[in-house]
Amino acid sequence: MKWFIRILLILVVIFIILQFFRPERITEEITADHIFEQEDIPEEIRSLLVKSCLDCHSMQTRYLWYHRIMPASYLVNNHITGGREDLNLSYWGKMEQMQKLTALDKMCEEVENGNMPLKSYLLLHPGAKFSDEEKEIFCNWIENMNESILIQMIE
Amino acid sequence: MKRFIYPAFFIMLFISGIIITNSFTTVQKPGKDKLPENVKSIVDKSCFGCHNSESTNDDAKEALDFNTFNELRKVRKITKLKEIGETLTEGEMPPKKFLEKFPEKNLTDEERQALITWTKSETDRLIKN
Repeated sequence: MKWFIRILLILVVIFIILQFFRPERITEEITADHIFEQEDIPEEIRSLLVKSCLDCHSMQTRYLWYHRIMPASYLVNNHITGGREDLNLSYWGKMEQMQKLTALDKMCEEVENGNMPLKSYLLLHPGAKFSDEEKEIFCNWIENMNESILIQMIE
Repeated sequence: MKRFIYPAFFIMLFISGIIITNSFTTVQKPGKDKLPENVKSIVDKSCFGCHNSESTNDDAKEALDFNTFNELRKVRKITKLKEIGETLTEGEMPPKKFLEKFPEKNLTDEERQALITWTKSETDRLIKN
């Protein structure tokens, strides 16, 4: 029994020490470059983006209580930095037309084939999963957006 | 009467022959054949082995399938071309593990550059059309 208590004690100590190495939280206020400020987006799509995408693909992450606890904060932080690197909708205004076109199309593709949102995100945000109907609405909106972007690119 | 029937018969045979051969040639057009000749031979050597409809590598097939590439919508084609260009520029493809087994399937610098040039010119063409 003694060894069990010892191991438990060591684990508790490791857990406490880990808390001192929490990754920094980085968030920013919404600027004029945010996709919501740049584009006229229907309410339906806005709420889909907020619900399922913007926690990792923007600078306006909604952190939850367990994000303060290591090692959860480490895992979450990795997803957020990775997500922002691939696509950051807070800086939409800084992107070129070509980037916007392919980013939107990629968003549709990833949502359609179920790669996004990530499974680990869905585990803690079950409501973020796209229904088939939502997928269709989302991709239709993207197709319309891309048609107008294509027209602008030709001009 | 026979004077008319024979020529008419041969003319109809001729026309139906044209229709049949035409319909065969339009059916037999896998997407890969639409690639320019120099690109096609490079793709055959280094990419098509995984990026085809019958591929057992599901990730590769989902990311890019040369059999169906030509049927994609315009914007999706542009997105895929951009991704091809990026993975080639960053040297991510063909994968290192694959090359350990099949070193002869690696791309030479010229081949890599030829593919990248193709992705750019094809993108420009698609935007303008």
